[in-house]
Amino acid sequence: MDPRAKIMIMLFLMIAIFIPAGIWGYVLIGLFILIALKLSKLSLSFALRSIKPMIFMMAFLLLINIFVIKTGTPWIQWGWFSVYSDAIYQTLYIVVRLMMMIIITTILTATTKPLDLTLGIEKLLHPFEKIGLPAHIIAMMISIALRFIPTLIEETQRIMNAQASRGVDLENGSMKEKVMAILALIVPLFVSAFDRADQLANAMEARGYDPQKPRTRYKVLKMTGIDYAGMLLSFLILVSCIYISVRGIS
Amino acid sequence: MDAVKVDHCSFSYDGETDIIRDASFSIPKGSYTTIIGHNGSGKSTIAKLLIGLLEARTGEITILGQKLDETTVYDIRSHVGIVFQNPDNQFIGSTVADDIAFGLENHCVPQEEMQARIEEAAQKVGMLDFLETEPTKLSGGQKQRVAIAGILAMSPDIIIFDESTSMLDPQGKKSINDQIKKLHDEKNITVISITHDMEEVAQSQNVIVLQEGNVKMSGTPMEIFKHEEELKKMQLDIPFALKFSNALQKEGVFDHGICTLEGVVDELCRLKQTN
Repeated sequence: MDPRAKIMIMLFLMIAIFIPAGIWGYVLIGLFILIALKLSKLSLSFALRSIKPMIFMMAFLLLINIFVIKTGTPWIQWGWFSVYSDAIYQTLYIVVRLMMMIIITTILTATTKPLDLTLGIEKLLHPFEKIGLPAHIIAMMISIALRFIPTLIEETQRIMNAQASRGVDLENGSMKEKVMAILALIVPLFVSAFDRADQLANAMEARGYDPQKPRTRYKVLKMTGIDYAGMLLSFLILVSCIYISVRGIS
Repeated sequence: MDAVKVDHCSFSYDGETDIIRDASFSIPKGSYTTIIGHNGSGKSTIAKLLIGLLEARTGEITILGQKLDETTVYDIRSHVGIVFQNPDNQFIGSTVADDIAFGLENHCVPQEEMQARIEEAAQKVGMLDFLETEPTKLSGGQKQRVAIAGILAMSPDIIIFDESTSMLDPQGKKSINDQIKKLHDEKNITVISITHDMEEVAQSQNVIVLQEGNVKMSGTPMEIFKHEEELKKMQLDIPFALKFSNALQKEGVFDHGICTLEGVVDELCRLKQTN
């Protein structure tokens, strides 16, 4: 699928999730997510795994809500302490929203290469170039940043080894000692990163790069039927969510 | 016509001490020229001047008959490519194909043409099977080959190698050196190579020796290597093959010096057959 379409679908669904359309809105979005999972050949367990880190936060949310929200019908009475129905509903509400948002972004990042995403963002921001937003420069910055992440990780490892062999201990010691040790890592890393940036700029310029000049692109994006169908469907979901929240379901 | 003509050029980074001092030389079209000199002699600065990354304080640089200045620098860069020292810091794209495409994109080559040109260039350097590979999965030598492909895709007239093999292992060094020689022999590209590697100097046609920003000597490798003592003073050496052949000459086996290993082997075989 075209990354532009994916980003747009994500945007529509995100807005739809934030519209208080009650249970039916979430059913619609949930169905769409299930179809998307099926089409992208990702398993449901993969999507659920991405939620795992959130469980602690959700439990915390439940606890707070139980103590704070005291409306609705009391469900459990336990001495002076009682749990009200609204507390549970509120928590479920937020949890479902969060889960859906995480699953949507997981699907997007799991099925799209970072470079394609960058290209998609660039193309989507293209109309804003007229009002002075440098979309292609932003895209170039993102793609170079992504390109250099592994290189800089490698460099960090190398500097860590080099400093360790000179007696810098990054793992043991008091907080203050650790901070000082990290300084011995950060400073050379920055020096080398600036050096790299300088050489990279030279290499780019030598190959005729000028941010002010028009360039052609090697990778082209092409929307197909499924892209339009997906965008239309997610847009319809958004519209119906708005409708439900304004008019009610009947 | 000269591919490169440098006429009384001076350059300094800080405005006080000149790194390049009134240097003049020319490099004929289609030649294979190496530039040598010890550290700080201004070799890399010369390379940056030739591609217009730096601007000379005085003097004039002419590339393929075109005077290098602000108005011509972009046009000149489509004819001149440069391969730098560090393979990591000149890999711009996220995959091999993207990196080769970078120069084409900059010079507004139509998208329909790109695929064919990328494949052709990748094939010339033997990287056709790696088009979708990410740079982290490539060796230093492979990255340098990609850098060469990125320049070849532009079909340049001149390629400058700025110590392109100095960060590579011996195997990578040999593969790049062979590649450079092949480019020069088959494509008739003017090759300018800045190097420390005396074996590479031996395979070139012309040598320019820089000392403190000035041209100290120039000529064919054999002419330069005759000044062994002076080279040693500049912390430069002569190739092992030439030392070997000089020793044989002293013993009366050879009647002339030979500076490449292949040449020495051929000569020995010839002598063995005649005796």
